[in-house]
Amino acid sequence: MSAFEKWQPTRRQLFGAAGALGLSAVLASCAGPGTGAGTSTAGSGGGLKPGGKVKGDISFAHWRGEDREAFADLIKKFVEKYPGTSVSQDISTSNDYAAQAFRRLRDGKIGDVAVAGRGDQFEQFTSTGLFIPLDDTGLTEKYQASLITEGAKDGKQYGYPYQIVYNVPIANMDLLSSVGVTEAPADWDSYIDMLDKLKAKGLTPIAFPGADAGNAGQLMNSMVMNIAPSDDMFTKIENGEYKCTDDWFIEMLRKYQQLGAYIQPNAAGTAVEPAQQMFATQKAAILSTGSYHIAAVRALGAKFPIDLVPARTNAKGEGKYEGIYNATFILGINSKSANKPTALAWLEFLSDAKNAGEYGDATAQHTSVAGVEYKNPDLKRIAPWLDRKLVIAPRFQFLDLDMRNAVEASGLAAMTGTSPEKAAEDAQKIVDERIAAKG
Amino acid sequence: MTTTELIVTATAKKRRVGVRRAGRRTAPALYLFPVPALIIYVAFFIIPTLQTFQYSITNWDGYSAAFDYVGLKNFGRALTGDTLFTNALTNNMKFMGVVVVGQTAVALTMAVLLMKNTKTNVFLRALYFFPTILSSVSVGFIWKFVYDPNYGVINSILGSVGVQGPGFLGDATTAIYWLAVTQIWFHAGMMIVIFVAGLQAIPAELYEAAEVDGAGPWKRFTSITWPLIAPAMSIVVAYTTIQSFKAFDVVLSISGNPPSRALDILSTRIYSTFANSQFGYAAAESVLFIIFILVAVFVLRRFLRLIQRGES
Repeated sequence: MSAFEKWQPTRRQLFGAAGALGLSAVLASCAGPGTGAGTSTAGSGGGLKPGGKVKGDISFAHWRGEDREAFADLIKKFVEKYPGTSVSQDISTSNDYAAQAFRRLRDGKIGDVAVAGRGDQFEQFTSTGLFIPLDDTGLTEKYQASLITEGAKDGKQYGYPYQIVYNVPIANMDLLSSVGVTEAPADWDSYIDMLDKLKAKGLTPIAFPGADAGNAGQLMNSMVMNIAPSDDMFTKIENGEYKCTDDWFIEMLRKYQQLGAYIQPNAAGTAVEPAQQMFATQKAAILSTGSYHIAAVRALGAKFPIDLVPARTNAKGEGKYEGIYNATFILGINSKSANKPTALAWLEFLSDAKNAGEYGDATAQHTSVAGVEYKNPDLKRIAPWLDRKLVIAPRFQFLDLDMRNAVEASGLAAMTGTSPEKAAEDAQKIVDERIAAKG
Repeated sequence: MTTTELIVTATAKKRRVGVRRAGRRTAPALYLFPVPALIIYVAFFIIPTLQTFQYSITNWDGYSAAFDYVGLKNFGRALTGDTLFTNALTNNMKFMGVVVVGQTAVALTMAVLLMKNTKTNVFLRALYFFPTILSSVSVGFIWKFVYDPNYGVINSILGSVGVQGPGFLGDATTAIYWLAVTQIWFHAGMMIVIFVAGLQAIPAELYEAAEVDGAGPWKRFTSITWPLIAPAMSIVVAYTTIQSFKAFDVVLSISGNPPSRALDILSTRIYSTFANSQFGYAAAESVLFIIFILVAVFVLRRFLRLIQRGES
């Protein structure tokens, strides 16, 4: 019988072993946050240069579940062009991506090519060296310069905002034509006049999904674009320079209050799907969300022509901007990728005008790639907006999501019966608390 | 046999058992069997729990290598300087109150009615249990459309008879109670089963004796059922309390993400804080969350015990 077999642990020894295990657990748990393997704190140094063999597998990490098929078709063509390669899509929901992407990407296990949301996520990806500069790849010239500024930082192009959406209300142009409106009103009085006529016709002028904070908040983009004292109004609210109780903000809430007369009853409890349904079935003339819902309302059977009708708060002949656009996601290359040549080839493939056009037609969204010819009738119809005076969606200036939600909720509150002053105070209280917490 | 003799005999028996146990050798390899489970438990439960306490006193953002220890600042902020957290706590207390009382009352009433093992009762128990096996996201979406003010089934029915229905989740003052109704619908079936098991364990002779003594149904309920259902009641109340704090997926699926302030409860608030890259603060909220659950369960169980003592 071996010594091990003879060994009979006493109760004291067992307690000791359990204690040691517990102690090691405590010590392990005391390891500093972020001190695990794979932490990248420094920038990656120089940018990516073309070259190397395009071969092997890469992962494409994104949150666009609805684009899975469109990307799958493009991947098929990419593999035909580059035999011996494969691209696997690693798709999370946008919230999961926001919460976990960085930790997963920094290990390089997924996302040789990855997407970042504009604002805080892009900032996180660049400041930690996760996204590699792409200035030397020759890809920047393939994009419309005015649409890719959100992918640049400190003079370096880290990524390309790919899909372009218009976060402004969309309208049923048949119904608008029936009240004599053939193009988007250019000032507030014309806007209200249009809504009055639609209401007089027995229609719900605006379907507003008040129960869905993300979609309801889109309206603030166009409401704020011409009334705020500066283009970085929400950055300034976030850092305390502006306040929700400032005159311009209260004035905007008064206009929200006016819109309250033109939305469906119980708008605060309406989810986005019923709002789309109202619009698709022509009970409502306008859907307050954005062009990214055109495909959804088409799927619900909408046959009428659709165009954009930003809510412009300016007086006649005034107004700096005509509308809003947003870069839904920014394509970039992971500095931890073990197969950068193939990652770059995939990015280059997506940057090709023909391929970008296929993606655009399949997803019913524009892209920032230059020289694309779209076949989708909706894209063709709203393509002229790409050349109009647009500002990138201001609501995404907020880095603090609680502040953003509080500020946007003030619009809904003003629409549904709260006085603009009270709605502004409620929002500012949250903003003040967040600023105080940051010290 | 005297008491002393009894003690002596018992001690002798104990010794014999002890001798037998000592003589039986346990193979040392057997001690290795719990090790995998122990490692998994330590790695995925103990360490994350301890880390939560550690993070709760830091300002870690969730991804940076650098962070500072901030002492109890996060706790102070949550309790005194964060309207959203206190709003979520208030909502959660309202939600818990309605769910605990409503779910217990509905489940106990149904259990009393369905206690006998007839075919109809067994079928009805299975029917009421059915929502429990649905995924919480499905439940959230079902009720999201039930509550829809324009196309929802309730307001459509009310509208067809000329009555304007309520705003449901869009009415900030009542939204949390409508959410509680969904939670009760979702979990009452499970509680019915627990109560039925508890009721069936009560000896039938007690009811027979009470009937002979002329006790009516209400008297039988208050004098026999209520005091003797106490163990099942304790389980139901504790489970329901914890469950109403931990409700998360059903809330997000019914209210969207982020939930409106009227529907924000502690679990969704903590999630929003994590998503807002405030890992340290979210960890502090999580620690407070644990404390609130412990306090709520303790208080409710004491309260229940007092009521049942008073009744009996």
